[in-house]
Amino acid sequence: MAATTIATEAKTTHSTSRRRRSVEGKPFFAVAFTALFFVLLYVPIVVVILFSFNSKKSLSVFGGFSNRWYVQFFNDEGLQSSLRASLMIASIAMVGALLLGTMLALALERVSSRPARAVGTVSLVPLVTPEIVTGVAALLFFTGLGLKLSLVTVIIAEITFSISYVAVIVRGRLSSMSGEVEEAARDLGCTSWQALRFVTLPTIMPALIAAGLLVFALVFDDFVLAFFTTGVDPQPLSVRIYSEIRLTISPAINAVGTCMLAVSVLLVALSLVIPRLFGRKDSSLDLISGG
Amino acid sequence: MSTDLQDAVAATLPGAKRQSATRTRLWGWLLLPPAAWMIVFFVSSILIVVALSFGTVNANGRPAFGTSLANYQALMNTTYLTVFIRSLVYSVTTVVLCMFIGYPVAYAIALHGGKYKNALIAALVIPFFASYLIRMYAWSTLLSDEGLVNQALHTVGFTDGVQFLNTPGAVVAGLVYGFVVFMILPIYASLERMDIALIEAGKDLYHSPLRTFFAVTVPATRAGVLGGVLLVFLPALGDFVSAQLLGGPSTFMIGNLIQQQFFESQNQPLGSALTVVLMLALLVFMVFYLRATQRQNRET
Repeated sequence: MAATTIATEAKTTHSTSRRRRSVEGKPFFAVAFTALFFVLLYVPIVVVILFSFNSKKSLSVFGGFSNRWYVQFFNDEGLQSSLRASLMIASIAMVGALLLGTMLALALERVSSRPARAVGTVSLVPLVTPEIVTGVAALLFFTGLGLKLSLVTVIIAEITFSISYVAVIVRGRLSSMSGEVEEAARDLGCTSWQALRFVTLPTIMPALIAAGLLVFALVFDDFVLAFFTTGVDPQPLSVRIYSEIRLTISPAINAVGTCMLAVSVLLVALSLVIPRLFGRKDSSLDLISGG
Repeated sequence: MSTDLQDAVAATLPGAKRQSATRTRLWGWLLLPPAAWMIVFFVSSILIVVALSFGTVNANGRPAFGTSLANYQALMNTTYLTVFIRSLVYSVTTVVLCMFIGYPVAYAIALHGGKYKNALIAALVIPFFASYLIRMYAWSTLLSDEGLVNQALHTVGFTDGVQFLNTPGAVVAGLVYGFVVFMILPIYASLERMDIALIEAGKDLYHSPLRTFFAVTVPATRAGVLGGVLLVFLPALGDFVSAQLLGGPSTFMIGNLIQQQFFESQNQPLGSALTVVLMLALLVFMVFYLRATQRQNRET
């Protein structure tokens, strides 16, 4: 789930890469291997999508196209309430994480006191902590306080986990922004708040949108944290799918899975494309990566 | 504007110092809500896990804090040790496989991707934002005894069929599939940053492309490989979904044990002790990792 963080590393330098082609001959092994890799990467996803349209109740024999599993999914009140729960969790967690993560990024870029640096370090720890540890910790925290597990506890846990992602992406954008612009705004009579509102926020807006979309996608799909912190009813969609696939094999799960895949692909694709709409010429991947 | 210059200018202006002080205070206030959130919901909850690992389950089945080492003593038997060692073996195997799969892929995209480079990286990243659970579920249906893979094997003559699920191979394959992107991206980034003249010089020096690759390219991308090792090892060691969906009790990892203690045995103190063991293992790994990267930084 830490794809955004590592993507931070993935910055492209176009000038050298074009020259690079001529330096080495095409190693056929690496190219063929990569082609095979991409096939294997997509096979399970294609199979899920294909069998979600299967007219038979089988996961291995394809009997022609049908939308029966989608009809079943949209008429299943349990799955529908889980879908609504997941959408709600992802929306609220996105807003919460954006607010807190942006505050954190703005403060860390400008305050270099010892406590601020400590907070900066602590805020990176969730990124290198396996989700099961975060999940166990959140579960014990909530039950220790005597809180009833519900969608609220899921939302709190998801925000805690997403703040770091937002902070990393927004800090990347902030650090590439010249401090002089804000300085100039203040020289022209802006208060600190006005400079933040009218200069800094518009500049980091593409990063905020990308971070928001990514957090939505991550939280919407997240299973482990939701599994540890959810109550009984309604359960988030991923937790519901988990309990269903352990009990029975139902092609309706393929339909649910296809819808979930569509949501995340759409969000991630948007977060890649949006910087172009803002007229940034550099690679849109830089934005996901916080460049 | 350099900070020295800023300070010098600021000193000459009346009221300027006061302004910069309020500005810092403003940013200080901004830090407060996220810092408070992280301390309340993250730091303190981790401390609760550590505290409860020394606790007990009282007569009516409720967890209670304490100062007992009983949970850790309970972990010192062969059943648990087998699972610890198995988790380590699976995770290390996953890291090694990710390295051998990820390096050629990163290399081909970085050096031969041409104008499709960004599209290829996007095609690589997008599936990894799709639900991990759904992707593991997809493999479990593909690899099942009546799944498509076995059907394909049947048509080419392997009439007996091959049992994939419930084997260590399936669990490791699931982990590799789940986390290989975390290996590819840092290697790709370090290949992109690498100075092209190094390869040219290597060609002149060694003639053979293969020798150039091992003497020049691999050392120059060591930081990327190390980054990938960290990013794959951390989630792999704590995973329980792959072993749950593609494996069985004979392939359970430490994550499955933790999950069992919380949802089946209802022994939260023992589950906490298991979680602390997992955190300690990762901490030891991080210390070695940081040493290795520091050495790398000194050498270069």
